Amino acid sequence: MNDMHGLIFAYAKGGENLKELTERRAVPSLPFGGRYRVIDFMLSNMVNAGVTDVGVVMRENYQSLLDHLESGKNWDLSRKRGGLRLLPPFSYAGSGPYEGVFLGNMAALYNISSYLSHIRQDYVVVAEGGLVANLPLEDALRRHVDTGADITVLCTPQRLGQQEFSSFLTLGGTGRISDLARGRDMDGALEMLGVYILSKPLLLSLVSHCAAHNLYDFERDVLQNMLGSLGLYGYVFEGYAARMTTVAAYFKHNMDMLRADARASLFLKDRPIKTKVRDEASAYYGPDARVQNCIVADGCYIEGDVENSILSRGVRIEPGVRVHNSVLLQDTRVSSGAILGYAITDKEVVIGPGRMLMGHATYPIAVSKGSVV
Amino acid sequence: MRKKECVAMLLAGGQGSRLYVLTTDVAKPAVPFGGKFRIIDFPLSNCANSNIDTVGVLTQYQPHALNAYIGSGLPWDLDRLEGGVRVLPPYVKSKGGTWYKGTANAIYQNIGFIETYDPEYVLILSGDHIYKMDYRKMIAQHKKTEADCTIAVIEVPPSEASRFGIMNTRDDGSIVSFEEKPKKPQSNLASMGVYVFSWKKLRAYLLADEANPASKNDFGGNIIPAMLAAGEKLFSHRFKGYWKDVGTIDSLWEANMDLLAGGQLNIFDPAWRIYARSTGTPPHFVGPAARVSHSLVTEGCEVYGSVENSVIFTGGTVKAGARVKYSIVMPGAVIGEDAVVEYAIIAEDAVVGRGARVGADPSAVNPKDWGVAVVGPAVHVGAGAVLLPKEMAGADVPAKEAAQ
Repeated sequence: MNDMHGLIFAYAKGGENLKELTERRAVPSLPFGGRYRVIDFMLSNMVNAGVTDVGVVMRENYQSLLDHLESGKNWDLSRKRGGLRLLPPFSYAGSGPYEGVFLGNMAALYNISSYLSHIRQDYVVVAEGGLVANLPLEDALRRHVDTGADITVLCTPQRLGQQEFSSFLTLGGTGRISDLARGRDMDGALEMLGVYILSKPLLLSLVSHCAAHNLYDFERDVLQNMLGSLGLYGYVFEGYAARMTTVAAYFKHNMDMLRADARASLFLKDRPIKTKVRDEASAYYGPDARVQNCIVADGCYIEGDVENSILSRGVRIEPGVRVHNSVLLQDTRVSSGAILGYAITDKEVVIGPGRMLMGHATYPIAVSKGSVV
Repeated sequence: MRKKECVAMLLAGGQGSRLYVLTTDVAKPAVPFGGKFRIIDFPLSNCANSNIDTVGVLTQYQPHALNAYIGSGLPWDLDRLEGGVRVLPPYVKSKGGTWYKGTANAIYQNIGFIETYDPEYVLILSGDHIYKMDYRKMIAQHKKTEADCTIAVIEVPPSEASRFGIMNTRDDGSIVSFEEKPKKPQSNLASMGVYVFSWKKLRAYLLADEANPASKNDFGGNIIPAMLAAGEKLFSHRFKGYWKDVGTIDSLWEANMDLLAGGQLNIFDPAWRIYARSTGTPPHFVGPAARVSHSLVTEGCEVYGSVENSVIFTGGTVKAGARVKYSIVMPGAVIGEDAVVEYAIIAEDAVVGRGARVGADPSAVNPKDWGVAVVGPAVHVGAGAVLLPKEMAGADVPAKEAAQ
């Protein structure tokens, strides 16, 4: 139990570059690592830091997310007071300072002002739901309180993708942020993770300030514009972090799970990542299965050859199949004699007998949900 | 409380002494099984899948692990506003109170719990059998025949019948007599330890049984014979399918192996899931030089060596060069580099050191010396040490210099 509330923006769309995978779901709802959805990481980060109340802000295409989150019981967030609160966009249609138009995250927060005003905790961690990382948020809150920061910005020395989609900051000697840039890297800069800690009163006043001045973007209108007037501090996270920006990045980050160091940084005994339980039995390997360098989830049934791949829950590989360097999402079925390389198959895809699909590391082929090839 | 048509009572207090080191610290129903389950998941999942939403779990021996495992009943969808799963340990009453003296006494002591729900029928289950059964069919038969008691039976090979409680029946399925482990069995219908009673009738027999100081307060030994002697209507209910008592080391090992032999017991059926408490571990990793065949491997495992005809439970590790054959590696156990584990049970959190050997192929030893080798929970087998077939390590085994 601590004094921090969680807010997750769960509506990032991913854009053209992720189209095949995000046509019917937001980025936080993307399957990841054979068992998870991307949002599981941020939800678990919060719960593991003792956060008991989490609001999830949604916008469109959120059916998949609702189905995944249910009542929040899989994260122990089905509570009488607090717990998980799903915040769909019921109020965007109305009039108001933003005239019912969605403009940015501060506008989204304005639309849930009444929820925000009822927050029981003194601090709020505000996070993008599209980040895969196991963050020590309890430690970040402690640092936030110790430094007396107005806003603590979590950042990483790594680079998480193309710089035009990323934001960067530089730190002064005291850990105070000295510069903030968007879409352009800087010398000695750290990349922002889209996770911030601030007090509840400051959050409320920033939301109302932005609404009154027709401002709507947290990074630009709050962080950049108030760099001089607010105490902004960085919290550097050194562990594994990934963001799904393109199909190729999605592929690469799933493949990262084959690295022991990435797994060790993401899956910690005392900070477990929880997800919706599917009650699948263990994975079964047939007498002639040949599986090497793979991540395999429960409920898989493997009778063919699989190498350097990620098999999600309930994937079925028939005899005589050859799969390499591929990411197969849940309940994919690969029929006998089929060959797959550098492919991503979405949920419930069926690859017919003897079919061949071959992409490349830089251009993996994505097969959209439920397709029959 | 609203009336419930049927309340299930699951007998989970058995020590399971024939599982030796595996049940030193936990009750038998809490013993891990089949990759990600515990034995009790089978009867609990059967209840959930049969729409029985009120289950009393009678515990007495080493209950902590079992209590924590059952918790609110959420994994089996048994966290209900009314009914749900309740753990029922023996308790002190104003006039004394005792441990559960026998299976019937355990139910007798919980008459008050059952009456809360004013049920028509009570389903008695035991916590040490592996099977998938739709109890609704049995209850439907019980109603149709207007029986006082219906006992589930399964055909066993005649040669093995003397190991079981055998029911002698008429053509219509009604029961003539019951013999516990008969020397000369007259039938091959074995009792599965699954009973449906009309509650009013059972209640009367429980009271009478308790009043009899000579009784051992046992269902098979006292209640059923008393009902038969009094001419009550007892019917058998034929069950066709997989059923196994996993009360011994050999049968526990065999039942796990049976999961690999296709068709015996399908744990992959989405229409009859076996539920278990999830540990929240990531999918398993199979290394670049690993070889896994005809095996079950579970979440949280890391496999770098070879695994053949085996069941690797949640969070197990098989290090590089290790060979695991025809074995059960329970949750969190570690098989060290170049270790060889054959025909063995490696219990929870046990560690088999580098180059150690546990168990052997039956063809490699004299048949009378062969048996499943067991490494107990959290036991460390030192590097290079050897554990022979049939041996059981309940305490750490010191390391030995590897043979040159």
